Amino acid sequence: MPRLLRLTPRRTTFLTAAATLLLTGCQAGSAPSGGGAATVPGPADSPSDALVVATSARVGSVDPVRASTFGATQLLSAVGDPLYQLEPDGDLVPALASELPRVSSDGLTVTIPLRRDVLFHDGTPFDAAAMVFSLERFLAIGTLSYLLDDRIESVRARSSHELELRLRRPTTVLPQLLSTINLTPVSPTAYREYGDRALADRFVGTGPYRLSFFSDQQQRLEPFERYWGDRPRNGGIVLVSLGNSTALYGAMRSGEVDVLLSTGLHEDHQQALVQRADRGELREGQGPALEIGYLTLHTNQPPFNDPGLRQALAHSLDRERITDRVSQGLRAPLRDLVPPAVSSGARGIWPAYDPGRARSLFRQAGYCDGKVLELPLTFRSNIPSDRLMVLTWQAQLARDLGDCIVLQPNGMESTTVYRQLGEGAFPAVMLDWRGAVRDPEAYLFPLLSCSKAEGGRCLKGESALSGSFWTAPGLQEDLLRSEGLAGAQRLQLLDGIERRTAAAAPYLPLWLVTPRAWARRQLAAPRFDGNGRLLLQELHRLP
Amino acid sequence: MSRRRALVRYLAARLGLVPVMLWLIASLVFLLLRVAPGDPVDAVLGTRAPEAARAALRSQLGLDQPLLSQYGSFLLDLLRGDLGTSLNSQEPVSRIIGQSLPASLELGLTALLLAALLGLTVGFSGIARPEGRLDLAGRLYGIGTYALPPFWAAMVVQLIFAVWLGWLPVGGRLPPTLLPPEGTGFFLVDSLRNGLATGHWQQLGGTIRHLVLPAGTLALLLSGIFTNALRLNLRRALASDYVEAARSRGLGEARVVLRHALPNALLPVLTITGITVASLIGGALLIEVTYSWPGIAARLQEAIAQRDYPLVQGIVVVVAALVVLVTVTVDLLVALLDPRIRF
Repeated sequence: MPRLLRLTPRRTTFLTAAATLLLTGCQAGSAPSGGGAATVPGPADSPSDALVVATSARVGSVDPVRASTFGATQLLSAVGDPLYQLEPDGDLVPALASELPRVSSDGLTVTIPLRRDVLFHDGTPFDAAAMVFSLERFLAIGTLSYLLDDRIESVRARSSHELELRLRRPTTVLPQLLSTINLTPVSPTAYREYGDRALADRFVGTGPYRLSFFSDQQQRLEPFERYWGDRPRNGGIVLVSLGNSTALYGAMRSGEVDVLLSTGLHEDHQQALVQRADRGELREGQGPALEIGYLTLHTNQPPFNDPGLRQALAHSLDRERITDRVSQGLRAPLRDLVPPAVSSGARGIWPAYDPGRARSLFRQAGYCDGKVLELPLTFRSNIPSDRLMVLTWQAQLARDLGDCIVLQPNGMESTTVYRQLGEGAFPAVMLDWRGAVRDPEAYLFPLLSCSKAEGGRCLKGESALSGSFWTAPGLQEDLLRSEGLAGAQRLQLLDGIERRTAAAAPYLPLWLVTPRAWARRQLAAPRFDGNGRLLLQELHRLP
Repeated sequence: MSRRRALVRYLAARLGLVPVMLWLIASLVFLLLRVAPGDPVDAVLGTRAPEAARAALRSQLGLDQPLLSQYGSFLLDLLRGDLGTSLNSQEPVSRIIGQSLPASLELGLTALLLAALLGLTVGFSGIARPEGRLDLAGRLYGIGTYALPPFWAAMVVQLIFAVWLGWLPVGGRLPPTLLPPEGTGFFLVDSLRNGLATGHWQQLGGTIRHLVLPAGTLALLLSGIFTNALRLNLRRALASDYVEAARSRGLGEARVVLRHALPNALLPVLTITGITVASLIGGALLIEVTYSWPGIAARLQEAIAQRDYPLVQGIVVVVAALVVLVTVTVDLLVALLDPRIRF
């Protein structure tokens, strides 16, 4: 044997020590078999009753002026407070505001009384001046400031705990807008040097948790001892981001994490988790379904400048079968643009699946009898459910209407799709949308608003940016008129607008996406707020 | 000209080309990013932001400037060592690279070490009986591991050892309940140092456990290259005249192999190692994505998807510089070790 490989007493000792070190480390880091997730004692670990929550979302910046992704707003909702909180049933309740906003008779001045018992995480008191600082900062450098800056003219502190907003025009959805977590106040003391730039990796707000550690893959939240509201029901939260669906599913299965969010999880993994929850191995919670999947048809050029052909396509879409095949029932078929949780419930405004009617309409448009419509359908290749949907619909059309229409799937990376959408590059494209606020307006304006039109063609505005280029005489006026109305009258007008859209079918709603979360059996079922964010402070172990 | 002076001249020529290569690479990336479809404003604001908001952000990010002006600023900043600020997170690019590069280097170097150990052992094991069972197995191993699709292999390994058996974690660099050790960004080094200082070894244990699957998978995929390289070069060396001469002098077979054939056979392996290191710095993307490893390749992929121009440019320039540095170092090493090399 070569001398190098001989085991001398000294080498044996070294190898034994190394093996012991390795094994000790491995055991120390491994998850206890029946207990909590990988909680280990030690100087650098989190409290033993901290819960590990996993999602696929990485958080680039925790600053409210930059936060626009799901992960960032989920994090912000735990470390910050909005002025108003949306309850799971959609009711608006004051949070940092002490009561609902008071609106002047002309609808242009809004007064918001604020709570007096609130402290920032740095110990400084929250008041109207802090709220003015935060709102002005958001309006000046916020990436989503466009949600407010065409509505709010100025902000001022009317007294130490009374905020006054001066509006450019009456705005019915203002309270809902004020529930946006991006408007959460930040401490003017901590952000003094960041008035005109973002602070990506720290946060000093008023929420139930303090941010004690931040990286784009992991954030640690510790309960804020001097929080004004109910204290969190856990000892802290560790939010972790895992890169793919298999890793997320595997982490839940092996007990590495306590709670798993459905964002970024493939349908088959979600289905497996639902089944485990049905068997009592996990606890499942669902949030309000606020995200819709839909198809956009380019109405400004052939073939979909023909309204009859759009109707034919609308009748050819077997939503029940497609959602069942793609999501095994996890996504609900949708025949409205405004989700049922936002309107008065499911109305089914868009045409239902009717292959006979579709065939008749295709015939009227000159297809079927020896002439087949070859339809390129663009989908985002980096979104698995889009691909599955397109392939399923292709097969369904081949079965039902193969002599009338053939679908030609065209996968494209999402960033490229978004860039080319407003240039009218796609005859038909699959997309999704989630309104910025829980109101019908947030689903209709971004798809239908049009600032420059020529007959039924939208040349400039949201409709053109959305790729449909569709509008109708009087539609824009109705949209603007709805902003000055309130209550049933407003909802009726918006419902009418949606029905006109359904009759013209420039968009075909397809499905609803419900946010879900699964917790280990030892934990209470996860709950969501009215904006579809997991209520981290309510996660807790069962006695 | 003396060998030493020739070596210095050779080195100077190689290093002199580095700035030119970096300029070419940086310019190419700058241009390609702007030609490629997609807009960073979409990535930040989404597609439905009003045109006024888009224009404001474009101006804020400097994207409304003429292309030449953007290019000029980019080059000037680069010369000053300023890689710019990420469009998405508004963090300095150098800080982002500083956080993710050590993760990639730690993974890559560990994998390389394991791959070399494994690959060279397998490659060497069949040498006693060429065309024997061991040699055949080594050949199959070399071809098989080299041909494995990385993404598939990583998913299968993850599925078996992390999801089904639950022996090892599915991803990340540390258990979620542990804070990353402060220091160099190389968790193995930092946690070992912490362990020695405090007597607590959880961080080191956690780091090792999280490193096993990604580094093991990467090592498995790379080891075939070493196996094949060693097998072929060792067989060639064993058939050469100087080995025959050594045998004829009555030297034992083990001494002939270990002292005469092996050092010569390892020289090409050194070159291959250099090339592998270079490709590993930015090329372990599929492993990093599968195992949620927060390395530079995963960061680059994310930055490309978000059209985060400064971050993509910064990462590419830094990775290119490292690749050039490693290649020059390996060339130099080979030249120093092999007297047959002329400059």
